Amino acid sequence: MPSADAVVVGAGLAGLSATLALAEAGARVHLLAKGHASTHWASGGLDVAALPRAVTVREAVARLADDARHPYAILSDALPPALEWIRGMLQHEGLPYVGTIDGPVVPVPTSIGATRPAAILPAAQAAALRPWEPGERLVVCGPGGFKDYWPHAIARGLRRAGAWWGSAGPERVDPLVVELPGVRDRLNLDAIELARLFEEPGWRWDAFAAIRRALIIGGLDGPGRMALPAVLGLDDHAAVLAEATSELPLEPFEVPLMPPSVPGLRLYRALRAAIVRAGGRVQIGQAVVRIGVRDGRVVEVAMEAAARQFVVRTDMLIMATGGIAGGGLVGHPDGTLREPLLDLPVEAPPAMSWLAREPLAAGGHPLEAAGIRSDAELRPVDASGRPAGPAGVRICGSLLAGQRYLRERCGDGVAVASGWLAAGAHRPSAPRRDAPQSLAGEVAG
Amino acid sequence: MGERMLTPDVLVIGGGATGAGLLRDLARRGLRCLLVDRSDFGTGTSGRYHGLLHSGGRYVSKDPSAARECIVENQVLRRIAAGCIEDTGGIFVATPDDPDDYVDAFPGACAAAGIDCDEIPVTETLRREPALSPAIRRAFRVPDAALEPWQLIEANLADARAHGADAWPYQRVVAIQRDGRRISGVTVRDERSGASTRVVPRMIASAAGAWAGQVAALAGVELMMSPGKGTMIVYNQRMTDTVVNRCHPPGDGDIMVPVHTVAILGTTEELVEDPDDDETSSDEVQALINEGEALFPALRRMRVLRAYTGVRPLYRDPAVQGPEASDDGRAISRSHIILDHEARDGVEGLISIVGGKLTTYRLMAEQAANAVCAKLGMSEPCTTAGEPLPGMGDSRAHWLGHRLAEHEDRGGGDADLICECEMVTRAMLERFLDRRGPCSIDDIRRGTRLGMGPCQGGFCTFRAAAIMAERAPDGHTDRAAPGGSASDPEGALSTFLNERSKGTRAVAWGRQLQELWMVTGIYVGVMGLEGSSSEHGGEATEDHGAVS
Ligand SMILES: Cc1cc2nc3c(=O)[nH]c(=O)nc-3n(C[C@H](O)[C@H](O)[C@H](O)COP(=O)(O)OP(=O)(O)OC[C@H]3O[C@@H](n4cnc5c(N)ncnc54)[C@H](O)[C@@H]3O)c2cc1C
Ligand SMILES: Cc1cc2nc3c(=O)[nH]c(=O)nc-3n(C[C@H](O)[C@H](O)[C@H](O)COP(=O)(O)OP(=O)(O)OC[C@H]3O[C@@H](n4cnc5c(N)ncnc54)[C@H](O)[C@@H]3O)c2cc1C
Repeated sequence: MPSADAVVVGAGLAGLSATLALAEAGARVHLLAKGHASTHWASGGLDVAALPRAVTVREAVARLADDARHPYAILSDALPPALEWIRGMLQHEGLPYVGTIDGPVVPVPTSIGATRPAAILPAAQAAALRPWEPGERLVVCGPGGFKDYWPHAIARGLRRAGAWWGSAGPERVDPLVVELPGVRDRLNLDAIELARLFEEPGWRWDAFAAIRRALIIGGLDGPGRMALPAVLGLDDHAAVLAEATSELPLEPFEVPLMPPSVPGLRLYRALRAAIVRAGGRVQIGQAVVRIGVRDGRVVEVAMEAAARQFVVRTDMLIMATGGIAGGGLVGHPDGTLREPLLDLPVEAPPAMSWLAREPLAAGGHPLEAAGIRSDAELRPVDASGRPAGPAGVRICGSLLAGQRYLRERCGDGVAVASGWLAAGAHRPSAPRRDAPQSLAGEVAG
Repeated sequence: MGERMLTPDVLVIGGGATGAGLLRDLARRGLRCLLVDRSDFGTGTSGRYHGLLHSGGRYVSKDPSAARECIVENQVLRRIAAGCIEDTGGIFVATPDDPDDYVDAFPGACAAAGIDCDEIPVTETLRREPALSPAIRRAFRVPDAALEPWQLIEANLADARAHGADAWPYQRVVAIQRDGRRISGVTVRDERSGASTRVVPRMIASAAGAWAGQVAALAGVELMMSPGKGTMIVYNQRMTDTVVNRCHPPGDGDIMVPVHTVAILGTTEELVEDPDDDETSSDEVQALINEGEALFPALRRMRVLRAYTGVRPLYRDPAVQGPEASDDGRAISRSHIILDHEARDGVEGLISIVGGKLTTYRLMAEQAANAVCAKLGMSEPCTTAGEPLPGMGDSRAHWLGHRLAEHEDRGGGDADLICECEMVTRAMLERFLDRRGPCSIDDIRRGTRLGMGPCQGGFCTFRAAAIMAERAPDGHTDRAAPGGSASDPEGALSTFLNERSKGTRAVAWGRQLQELWMVTGIYVGVMGLEGSSSEHGGEATEDHGAVS
């Protein structure tokens, strides 16, 4: 039976952060997840916090941390070093991020022609963060025949007075649909296939030329920037981005699309690569179905496998199974919300009450803040603050109660800070042992 | 709206199946008619029903004459509306709990009503429908089918228009004027602009379904409806390709209807005061599933997409049953009745057609049209049973793979799929928008089935919103349907998503809750819909002074 210093369950930003921090510290760590996580759905940016009237991220974090029930109440000290650390890792993997927690939160365009607040974005989206100078134009440019990016609709949305929250937006917003080689013939092309096309040097050379021509014909010259769908390469992204920036007359930035999210995939792949490089193990595809407990302590974690359960012995379990979207919290027909792995106490509004409210209702939905409450070291506790569940468990990411990530835009900050902190709670007893054996052999046996 | 018909021979109130069928019938008899609906066509009970073209089998023991009407109309609709029908066939199965005497009498009762009914061996039934309970004891095949309401309504309206009639959506009848005993005019209000129009018809035919009582009251006539609310739940898969009925006296949760890519279990029945009461409670949903398990034991493990309710236009005849006669909706007749308010209440120029089933909409329309013609001194015969509806293609009944086959026949062509679940292509959407003009995403849903499949609009709605926006000329603000417009795709999206979630709330557990959360995350989080961006917007606008 394989053993590990720690097992992390969940491959979202929280689980990846915890795993990477542990692997870097020399621990033998296994990340187990049943499937891809919110990185594959989300924007690829790092949402740390944004609130109305808070100018900077730091200000918003401070306000959230004032609420003793918010995860930032225990994470706000860990947050700056954790962010610094993860950005260093991403930079090292060729995926630099731009913006800081002291920078302003600004409206950046989305692919339905609205804006979302952002402050820390991957380099490919960074041009959207700079304030708009008087006279600057925005060209919303997308390939004809691609059905997840509609320049006319986006431009129309971005021309609304409210879209930029009353601050100065671009002086003009123009749509530009460009026929890129072969795109219209390939019906039902998705974002990943388009990103793959951009990785072919010859194809993208022609594509950038076509965009340049269309800009000239349309009379859409500078100064200004251009909003492109987020498909500028996947593996070879840095090269594609560099070429786009040098070949296009307007500074390009990517706009995230409907899933699958190419920027999110890049983020996931970069962190996964860093984990593997640091000696951690990642196994995705099967659900963890059982946590073995002996004498009140976690002793093993069992994953579904083809023939029989695949079991890893460990005394440290980091739960980063996400909230309702991730599968860490499961709704039941009786109107209760439960944590399926250890049946930890869930902090949630009264049973059934959530069924009465629209998810998009102004002011949010009562279920948003649901989750597991923890102590300052991320150990699960019950409603009265007493330890809950077996010893050796840490809770990370969107599974933590008290955050409303869609209104507070704090999901990624909470994930990185809690993952980093949970990993720090582990002190490897001995220096790094040899790399763990192949998991595949275990599953088959 | 171009030239408006303000002095029609007949004003039809209500654009459900009955009203649309009536408009067609009257127009074909040479009358100048106008139909108004307070909302889009087919948003009343006709758009919120179970989807079953009855063979009549359900009514054979309790109401043989209703059963006979069903089988006759069933055969008529297969001829005139083949394109709206998926010929799934139906079976009645007896579970161990169903009374022997009922089951034994069933085939004979079908025969007496003129319904083809063959007993099929249980083993064969289970081979064809493996998700059925292995405990079933007997099975009978009947000619049930699935019937698509919106296309049916559109086709009736199209034929009526071809015969000179007009139909206005979003025009609510708000007042009916009388000059003594006689109706002298009708005020309709445009639900989008608020503008009022006066229509002066020779006759009014109210086909307002469960709202017929409200309409009659406007004319000072007392008409007591007993709206019967029924809940249905939609599964994300067709666990059966055949309509499955339980062979017992009609009850709750005893019919499963396969519809396109999904299957619908229904129904419950509860008498309500207000026909606009469309709340779905999770208790009702649980009760339905409990009952449905007798037919499909694995039901609880299958994924529910949404629940919805419809309100039956039940009429309580005061002569037959006193107002407090029964609280059991199922005891009230499913037959229809035409009320001549001149004979009944002394008010001239108004009839109401109430009760009935969607299956018998054409017959109801025929009888109502006969009554109207008699009042107007005409004797033109009804022609709606003989002439196929327009746009029904060849009379080959519609089947699930139909759209896919059509799509492939055209060699893929320019057919980008906008809604992958329901195979709605861009061309189909554009054709709909050409015909319809300004409308909401919900109208598109009814017109094309976009967003009705397993993902429930999570991924295709924004494409539809974008296509609407692309079509609207720049800088143009249209007067659109309430709940979204081309110049405000964002508003259209949030209206649509909130509307859809109304149906998913009561079934929001397990995978469905997870998906609801995911879709909310995508639209609010990634796309900046409503939620925080508008919050920020609000704040910033305050700080920077008013922006108009
Ligand atoms: C739960 C349930 C399941 C059912 N299942 C089946 C089935 O499987 N098979 C079957 O054959 N039948 C079924 N039925 C019955 C069938 O759905 C109805 O009998 C039929 O749809 C009634 O159609 P209608 O046109 O008379 O009424 P509706 O479709 O309700 O049309 C009435 C219209 O009047 C409009 N209106 C109301 N007030 C005004 C006003 N003031 N001004 C203008 N317009 C107004 C409304 O907007 C509405 O569109 C079911 C019914 C229910 C409730
Ligand atoms: C669609 C969407 C949009 C979002 N948008 C925003 C936004 O705009 N701003 C913001 O701040 N936040 C947003 N969030 C939230 C934010 O992405 C997360 O809070 C953050 O990334 C942390 O996620 P996580 O790692 O805790 O969990 P997740 O990313 O949800 O990952 C959970 C992981 O756990 C695994 N898992 C669950 N149960 C098991 C099991 N039994 N066995 C094995 N594996 C299991 C899952 O497979 C998955 O890999 C969004 C989330 C979603 C889903």
